[in-house]
Amino acid sequence: MTSSSKAPLNTTAVVGVSLWVGLLVLLSHWMAGQSQRWLPVQASNAAPLVDGLFSFETALGTFVFGAVLSVLVWVLLFNRAEKYDDSDAMPIEGNTRLEVVWTAIPFVLVMAIAAYAMQVNHRLGVLGPMEHIHAHSPIEMQGGYAGDRLPPEQVEVIARQWSWEFRYPGSNVASTELHLPVDQPVTFRLTSDDVLHGFYIPAFRLKQDVIPGRAIDVNLTPTREGRYRLRDSQFSGTWFAANQADVVVQSLDDYHSWLKQAAAMPLQPGLSVAVQEYGERLRRSNPGWATVPPAPPPEVNVPGNPSLPHDG
Amino acid sequence: MSSSLPINTPEVEGHPSGAHANHNLTGFIIFLCSESVIFLAFFSGYAILKTSALDWLPPGVEGLEWRTPLLNTVVLLSSSGTIMVAEHFKAREKLWLFRGFWLLTMAMGSYFLVGQALEWRGLAFGFSSGTFGGTFYLLTGFHGLHVATGVLLMTIMLIKSFIPGNYAGGEQGVQATSLFWHFVDVIWIILFLLIYVWQ
Amino acid sequence: MTIATFPPEPKPPAGWSRYFGFSTDAKVIGIQYIVTAFFFFLIGGLLAMVIRGELITPASDLVDRSVYNGIYTMHGTIMLFLFIFPVLNGLNNLLIPTMIGAPDMAFPRLNTAAFWLVPVFGTLLIASFFVPGGSASAGWWSYPPVSLQNPLGHLINGQFLWILAVALSGVSSIMGAVNFVTTILRMRAPGLGFFRMPVFCWTALAAQSLQLIGLPALTGGAVMLLMDLSFGTSFYRPEGGGDPVLYQHFFWFYSHPAVYVIILPVFGIFSEVFPVYSRKPLFGYVYVAVASFIIVGLGLIVWVHHMFPSGVAQWMRDLFMATTMLIAVPTGVKVFAWLGTLWGGKLRLTTPMLFCIGGLVNFVFAGITGVMLATVPVDIHVSNTYFVVGHFHYVIYGAAVMGVFAAIYHWFPKFTGRMPYEGLGKLHCLLTFVGANLNFLPMHPLGLMGMPRRVSSYDPEFAFWNVIASLGAFLLGVSIIPFLLNMLSSWIRGPRATHNPWNAIGLEWLLPSPPPEDNFGEDVPVVISRPYGYGSGEPLVEHQAEIEQRLRLQEVAA
Repeated sequence: MTSSSKAPLNTTAVVGVSLWVGLLVLLSHWMAGQSQRWLPVQASNAAPLVDGLFSFETALGTFVFGAVLSVLVWVLLFNRAEKYDDSDAMPIEGNTRLEVVWTAIPFVLVMAIAAYAMQVNHRLGVLGPMEHIHAHSPIEMQGGYAGDRLPPEQVEVIARQWSWEFRYPGSNVASTELHLPVDQPVTFRLTSDDVLHGFYIPAFRLKQDVIPGRAIDVNLTPTREGRYRLRDSQFSGTWFAANQADVVVQSLDDYHSWLKQAAAMPLQPGLSVAVQEYGERLRRSNPGWATVPPAPPPEVNVPGNPSLPHDG
Repeated sequence: MSSSLPINTPEVEGHPSGAHANHNLTGFIIFLCSESVIFLAFFSGYAILKTSALDWLPPGVEGLEWRTPLLNTVVLLSSSGTIMVAEHFKAREKLWLFRGFWLLTMAMGSYFLVGQALEWRGLAFGFSSGTFGGTFYLLTGFHGLHVATGVLLMTIMLIKSFIPGNYAGGEQGVQATSLFWHFVDVIWIILFLLIYVWQ
Repeated sequence: MTIATFPPEPKPPAGWSRYFGFSTDAKVIGIQYIVTAFFFFLIGGLLAMVIRGELITPASDLVDRSVYNGIYTMHGTIMLFLFIFPVLNGLNNLLIPTMIGAPDMAFPRLNTAAFWLVPVFGTLLIASFFVPGGSASAGWWSYPPVSLQNPLGHLINGQFLWILAVALSGVSSIMGAVNFVTTILRMRAPGLGFFRMPVFCWTALAAQSLQLIGLPALTGGAVMLLMDLSFGTSFYRPEGGGDPVLYQHFFWFYSHPAVYVIILPVFGIFSEVFPVYSRKPLFGYVYVAVASFIIVGLGLIVWVHHMFPSGVAQWMRDLFMATTMLIAVPTGVKVFAWLGTLWGGKLRLTTPMLFCIGGLVNFVFAGITGVMLATVPVDIHVSNTYFVVGHFHYVIYGAAVMGVFAAIYHWFPKFTGRMPYEGLGKLHCLLTFVGANLNFLPMHPLGLMGMPRRVSSYDPEFAFWNVIASLGAFLLGVSIIPFLLNMLSSWIRGPRATHNPWNAIGLEWLLPSPPPEDNFGEDVPVVISRPYGYGSGEPLVEHQAEIEQRLRLQEVAA
């Protein structure tokens, strides 16, 4: 844009523009590196793929934004009307060749991004099969897993207003803290008892709406040990913001011993910030606007501890 | 966008803020196009809910009886013909024949409405009987509302035909009403196919 | 054409009272729309201040969570349905008839009715704050089943009033759209073919066509929501066999194009303003005009990109990702055309020009985050987070509202007959640009870090950027003060405006300021060339010199 619409194509202009474009490329490259610092830690096999795409888009975006801004700054500096100059500028009505160029280049560019994104999308394949279920009676079903994967660990995730419950059918364990073994494929079976929720673990780059009346399977492999946050991402009512849970990724041995310990523990009420705040609210003289009362906390073996620090 | 030629509208310039008779039809056609999208939304909603339903029909309901509705359909569709005949006579300034066929069209529309009401009364399910009941009553009800509106519009046009000289210069209201009536008929064909034929 | 009687003697402007009655004059209705819209803008803005006040600390401590949810819901609803749509319809009313040389809209009484519905449904919506249980609080999307939960069980509840208000807003918008489209199609001045029409009219035609196609789907969806909420059906209730995701299709089939309904006229404003203050023709006028309709076509087939995490099939994700990305192409054509217009021009940095340049910068930024959001894997991570909130506010506040401000400053002299103050205008522009960026830029890192939108409390790691955003929001709140001061004082006692203070080309600038009630009356000039003939020296209409001479003589006499 900068070079082609400048009328006299002299050497200084070409060199200047090339230097500037080079500078923009460097800046874009630097921003692509920076973009990784804005994202949470990479804790799943999906994260590097998503982050790679994001960094590519950041680079392209920086370049485009930088180029547009450069043109704007240039005209603001050098194309200002002199004081008391009432005359018009050169009446250039357009340029068909330029129009073709700046239609074709963005077209190729966005299609390239789309192709890259589709490729990432298919490698992710997070969304498993989806089943319609009768409310309150989830149908047991076999998920279709990629053939090269190990038979995955299966976790049932039940979203409610406002708590998360995780069931490990193989071990007969229920918890309000999600424990996962590192480097093992896992399938989540997502169901909701009431409204839409969003199953969102930023460190995994995983988000899937939980839809009442459907069971949705998503597949993923955690790749980094640590403690992360699971957040509700689809607005679900009054205590939506407090509908969080911790995700603990641990070594396979630790995971198995956790399951064993958990199975031996008696059932107790799980975590639900909403239930606790609802109790306080009832005692207030000015309780705010009408709300649906929270569902009772699920009966679980392990409530978990939400006050432990999690990885950003 | 019919043409890129300048459209010179001398009659506009003569009536700065009054009614622009020839714009009414343009506006009405634009409105009908927009209105058809509501039906499109309801139709697609019906199709999506039906194809994804686990139990489509409410318990105890076998399906819809289609013979009487078919008769209703024939009557409603024929009324599109009678309204055209009526318009034909209006163009020839045979006002009494126009009124006759206009009235016949109204009668056929009313027959359809009565038939619809009788069908509703005889059904074993209500509008809260699952998504089938809901969409059935929504679609037929919303369409019925349009039929009733059409009959009402025709009544107004009929009364206006008794104003001396009112239809002398061509009357856009009649044209618009007739257009609306064809629209209602086309919607019914799709509706009939969706609800009664696709069971 | 009888030049001797043209233009008509300007009638003495009728009193203030005409702005409070059922006028059928599009210019009065236009100002009624704009003033009403800014009244609701202040209410919506106040709610935004409460939101940012709550979010300045991680805990939920300013208002109760239930109240917070109501406030953010009402903020979105008011800003969209009671501010941005009405303000744009106000500009349509002012600009379309004067730009095409029509005496008024095609259906003046329909126009009056469409406007007066705005205060009606506005009151209905605001009233929902005072019904038992409080206002609607399921977000401006009102996704079921949350929006169907009616804790108190009353028939009249906040959500009920919300649906009624949105449906009435739809009726008003459809009435407006039928009117605008008919006016543009049927009432253009002699010689004003489509490819001589100002780009604002092109974009208005495109935007209003989108309204006509999209809005009925939302209305249909809203009717079903209302029946589920109040009359026991179960279209969206999973326990009755309904499908909550169906609503999302209805909602986004309209509400994504709604963004183009908002931004297209703003593209029109940019295309009008840049040539005037660069003293150059719009670069590639035909491409800019036609690109509007390509955006319409593509805009109708991208809505599923709002639902990537909702559980749609993989092929749908791919398809809608591709269509969404394609929109960048016609939009890019427009952006490059504006840069081409500025390039080599003789720029005059007046208030409207500064607003447009600021709006363009913000829009390009929003376009880049938009492409990021279009790609499914990135969208999966950032959808329903503050990244989306940031992107959306860059489009709506950063670009659209700044464009609206540009339009108001640019055409203020034409329709009030008074000049706005440049100093206050530039201060307003500076505060808006800085405030908007301070407010909305921090939302992007927050979203990338994983902060969901619509939360009333958040984890402490998000505190830093939220404090910055809140400070930016308060600055934006302050930025409205110079604007209101400017508008009020200029309208009452600003210097008198000539018929063409910016030396602009266009039919509206060949009318006295303010124009008489029937604009050109019976003497509509014959258009003989394309718009934006800056520097070419060609007249826009026949007998242009005589028309301008008469206007000048009138101004001297006054």
